[in-house]
Amino acid sequence: MDLWGISYAISDILMHIVYWIFSGLLGLLPDPLGGFFDGIGLWFVSPGVIAFITMLLEALIVIIVALLNVIILIWVERKVLARIMDSRGPFYVGPLGFFQNIADGAKLFVKQIIIPKKADKFGYQIAPIIFVGSSLLILAAIPLSADFAVKDATGATIPGGILFAFAVFAIAPFSILVAGWSENNKYTLIGGMRSAAQMMSYEIPMLLTVASVFLLVGSFSFGDVVNAQQNIWFGIPLFLGLILFIACMIAEVERIPFDLPEAEAELVEGWTTEYCGMRFGFFMFTEYLRGYAGCGIATALFLGGWIGPDFLPGEIWFLIKAYIVFVVFVFIRGALPRIRTDQILDLGWKRLLPLAVLNLLIAATFKILGWF
Amino acid sequence: MPEQTCERRREKSSLTGLVIKPLWTTFVQTVRNSFGGRPNTVLYPHEKLVLPPRYRGKHALSFTRCIGCGQCVDICPNECMWMKKIEDPVLGKIERPGVDYSRCLFCGLCVEICPTDALLMTDQYELSSTDRQGLRYEPEALRNDDYPVREPKDAILVPGLDVTKCKGHEECVKACPVKCITMVEVEKTGKRVPTIDLSVCTHCGKCVEACPEKALTMTKKLIVMFERPMPVFNLDNCTGCGACVRACPADVIYLLEMPGTGKKSADGKVGKDKKRAVFALEKCIGCGRCAKACRFGALEMVPESKYREAQAAPKPKGKPKKGGKKE
Repeated sequence: MDLWGISYAISDILMHIVYWIFSGLLGLLPDPLGGFFDGIGLWFVSPGVIAFITMLLEALIVIIVALLNVIILIWVERKVLARIMDSRGPFYVGPLGFFQNIADGAKLFVKQIIIPKKADKFGYQIAPIIFVGSSLLILAAIPLSADFAVKDATGATIPGGILFAFAVFAIAPFSILVAGWSENNKYTLIGGMRSAAQMMSYEIPMLLTVASVFLLVGSFSFGDVVNAQQNIWFGIPLFLGLILFIACMIAEVERIPFDLPEAEAELVEGWTTEYCGMRFGFFMFTEYLRGYAGCGIATALFLGGWIGPDFLPGEIWFLIKAYIVFVVFVFIRGALPRIRTDQILDLGWKRLLPLAVLNLLIAATFKILGWF
Repeated sequence: MPEQTCERRREKSSLTGLVIKPLWTTFVQTVRNSFGGRPNTVLYPHEKLVLPPRYRGKHALSFTRCIGCGQCVDICPNECMWMKKIEDPVLGKIERPGVDYSRCLFCGLCVEICPTDALLMTDQYELSSTDRQGLRYEPEALRNDDYPVREPKDAILVPGLDVTKCKGHEECVKACPVKCITMVEVEKTGKRVPTIDLSVCTHCGKCVEACPEKALTMTKKLIVMFERPMPVFNLDNCTGCGACVRACPADVIYLLEMPGTGKKSADGKVGKDKKRAVFALEKCIGCGRCAKACRFGALEMVPESKYREAQAAPKPKGKPKKGGKKE
């Protein structure tokens, strides 16, 4: 599926409708300036405007696809978690409870949005925007296939897309800190601080693990990384790296067992305590969006991305692999207890970092031996 | 030895113990759940669990059995009950308890203490309401005269005395096979009435048969697991107003005249004799409504175990108090 092609076709049709409205319909009106409406219409069908609209459409399609996937992921999480706990999960709304998320979203939409009296209003309102915005920005870099990627008119994707994705990934703890601070509540503040502490522990091993992939490929872009896995997925020679990356990615997207910033039991949902209504809904939704993005990155880096047998399109293979990674996430969530703040620092600096360096050494060995 | 246990503990909290073993257990459990069994969830509105026989749900109140003593209101730990005055076409002016389920914790103390098994707990648990006032159940809403008593309390038959009928024939004393009845003089009234030691009484009912005046009747009395308070009477403060008699839900209190206490006016006329309250404590359920009704401080509720001490001990006000009907 060619994202650019589809978007270009749609925007072409849309702009020609606009042109027809301006020159055909409004042109019938008395026109003292002479060709005024026709000029505006012609501007709309100029290649630059069409390219701009095409990119907007691309972004829209990518976001819609991501949100649909997120809805499915939340359903998958609830169902798998329910099976782990020997219960049913969502059941009543829709087939197999598939529309439960939509019902929950509707419930959150009609709730009153309260801003706490003592909160810092600017920070309180800007934090969800940063969080949601930065998380949506990650999706710009992640292609579902060689064609289904955000491109510009020349057909170029984001150069260094993986670096971009990780850079944007790392914005969220900042917004969490802003949220925790501005809510003016002890739980939220502790949650924000924990988020910062957690980031220090997982970010370095994760980037070192990613560096091992870069070392083998020699490129920062998703397309090159996936194409380098035509013969063998990096998850097999770099199995240690895959494990490390999944552990760090769970910490990155703040899921159990690394959900210290929003520990329900001890911190009352942590940094989201004072948020209510759809703001909270956006936070929850965005966390799954980040989970989706994390699974996508893990798929692209270690599991061969969209490479698969030909009977299914590449996007579907990509999504299947991402879903399998997500089920692993859910499984880990169901199995492991939350760890303490000192334990995550211990884990990050004393276990994951040496292992990540070891993984880098393994990758370097492969490169020296000339296997990749 | 403690060092060794420490070592063992450290071994347990390793990667295997904290990560791999839980993951494996969960995996096995998930596979077993997914392919071997049905979910444990009860699909509530469609399926319902079979409730245990002692389930404590919404109350059922029998208006006919309830005597309006208000002990349920007194014992409620959350103060979620209240007595409501009702004008009933059949029962007349009565007081019955209502329950506020927004505060009720379903402890069942009110049911335990009910001296007539009038307040029961049903297995009705669907009490949710869209309105906070909708959880406030007035006695009319709780009324269910026909609800069966699933666990009736143990009852004893007590010979209850109607003091006004008693003429002091002492037939009951002679008839009693275990000698638990003694005649006691009621202070200042010149009457002698029987008093029954319930700890000895075998509830045989021979005294009831022997009584020529039919003053004794067998009264059913339920055994509750709480210690009942008893009224201690202070004759000096009693004015004979009869408020306690009207308040008593169990017909324990009677008014008797005290001869020779009529007021003499200036022209030599002798007024009516003063009255005093007399207690037939066998029937007392310990609700304390008499003490609440008395405005002159003549009555005080004392726990049953301390009842005799309280009777013997002089009041702090100075005058010795000869309590009740019996010593």
